[in-house]
Amino acid sequence: MTKIKTIQEAVKLIKDGDQILTGGWTVIRRPMAAAHEIIRQGKKNLHIVCGTAGTDTDLLVGAGCLAIGEQAYVGSEKFGPAYNFQRAVAEGPEVSGFTYDDNSLLFAWLRIQAAAMGVPFLPTTSLLGSDILNPEYDTLKDMRGKNPKLAKKKYVTMKDPFFEGREVILVPAIKPDVAIIHAQEGSKDGTICIKNCPFGDRIVAMSAPVTIVTVEKIVSNEEMTKHTAENILPGMYVTAVVEMPYGAHPTQMPHYYDNDPWFYKEYQANAKSKDTFTKFVKEWILDTKDHQGYLAKLGEGRLQAIKADPVCGYNPTMERKV
Amino acid sequence: MIMDNNNKKDYAKQGEYLRQEMMAVSAARLLRNEMVLVGFGLPMIVAILAKYTNAPELIMMTEAGVYNAKPEHTPLCVADCRFSYKTSWYGTPVELLGAVLPTRRADLAMLGGAQVDKYGNLNSTCIGNYLKPKKRLPGSGGACDFAALANRFLIIIEHDKRHFVDTVDYLTSPGWVCKKFPENKMVRRESLGMWGGPEAAISTMGVMKFHPETKEMYVESYYADLGVHAEEIKNNTGFDIDVSRAKPAIPPTYEELDLIRNKIDPEHFIVPKFDASKVAR
Repeated sequence: MTKIKTIQEAVKLIKDGDQILTGGWTVIRRPMAAAHEIIRQGKKNLHIVCGTAGTDTDLLVGAGCLAIGEQAYVGSEKFGPAYNFQRAVAEGPEVSGFTYDDNSLLFAWLRIQAAAMGVPFLPTTSLLGSDILNPEYDTLKDMRGKNPKLAKKKYVTMKDPFFEGREVILVPAIKPDVAIIHAQEGSKDGTICIKNCPFGDRIVAMSAPVTIVTVEKIVSNEEMTKHTAENILPGMYVTAVVEMPYGAHPTQMPHYYDNDPWFYKEYQANAKSKDTFTKFVKEWILDTKDHQGYLAKLGEGRLQAIKADPVCGYNPTMERKV
Repeated sequence: MIMDNNNKKDYAKQGEYLRQEMMAVSAARLLRNEMVLVGFGLPMIVAILAKYTNAPELIMMTEAGVYNAKPEHTPLCVADCRFSYKTSWYGTPVELLGAVLPTRRADLAMLGGAQVDKYGNLNSTCIGNYLKPKKRLPGSGGACDFAALANRFLIIIEHDKRHFVDTVDYLTSPGWVCKKFPENKMVRRESLGMWGGPEAAISTMGVMKFHPETKEMYVESYYADLGVHAEEIKNNTGFDIDVSRAKPAIPPTYEELDLIRNKIDPEHFIVPKFDASKVAR
């Protein structure tokens, strides 16, 4: 049986209001083409819970797909602030329709790990002293207990009952419907390989009942057995494998292509206002119809310019200040 | 002392370097052969500089899962494969943040922020009221976890009254006296069972340390050759700061400047290009 699907079929697995999380790290190996398809299919009221959010979260906020975010960082690193995210939070949920609550990175990742393990919570010794624990700053307070995807409490404090009795913070598991990651290679049996640093993508995929994996290249099941140590997921955790070359653009895909600094420049310039960003989304995502159309609009010259050196993984000669 | 431009160990003179270079050098000199969790920006420059100079055995790690990084090109974030190229192991964020940090294996972390108070509490979350911010910032990322769990941390921050404030608008990363909930009162970090704490704040004007008993920030040194004096630090700090022990900072050496400009950040992503004609004397 094959797990190979089209991106249209795969993204149909996401329903309005679903809790989702994406793999990658800020501006590296993010499932951008899948985010584009989410926008094209007009998904609404999504609840995003990834640890290290980046360009895809900013795009989904700006395109009006998100209702709730529980994350630790939203930004595009050296390429600039997440203007759509910043605007939505500053406007407040009444205007933007987006409610955001702050986790720390460990807080967020333990919540993902708890979901992957099927336990309701995990303890941590972090977070003490910080306003992240301030009950007055729990922006989701009024929704807790009503929305089944939200923990009834942001956290609980308890004394270690087993050893010295120090105070620990219990953080609740996330309750995702769909995880989406982008990897270098996958095969039709659902085996997934990530070359270079895999971050927490293995845990992201294991935390959700449905996982969509877009890959640069589909290879044979047998080919995948030649580099078992690089394979981060077995088929049992993968619902759909979709071949999407340049599926992380404009984020970096180690060994395939680097960040696209020209695209980031245009994105950032347009993200500064709602009007220009709405036009940008129409021009680059809605009007291009599909990923092929998007790549055609980018043009062969651009795709060549960002190509990575297959050994070091990035493009060592590309001009990065544009 | 006789200065000789040809001897790289000699100290640079007034007008020969930038504040950002002085900051990087001041911080790098505080690093040892130890396990360092590196954030993006100037902290990354600091760690690489220390590795080339006083701490060759230093191990650079990032929360993205990079261990013992030796970048050959300037990374644009902690997850950039310029960081992970030629490293010996990849971890997950659950391991780096959830195993390395809480078991006290991270000796040092370096953190920036939009605001810092006299106890070294940092804000990287928002300006204004959290529930209706004037400006939203990226958020904690790993900063709160680093500040809570690293064996010590350094603060690297711009120096003016907007950054050095009496009270941070949001306490993202805990310093020496931080918040206890649900009471919402300020308490010593030890009383929460926490170890670590900020060792120093390296700013665009000087190096601040914390009084061993009161835990309040004081000025240890100021960048005299860059035209800064202790009173100027006082005037640019939003709380009363002790300058009685302040002394002039030791300038960068030519070797340190050469490493920053030609080896660590030759494309000037983090540290601006030095232009002698634009440096105020």
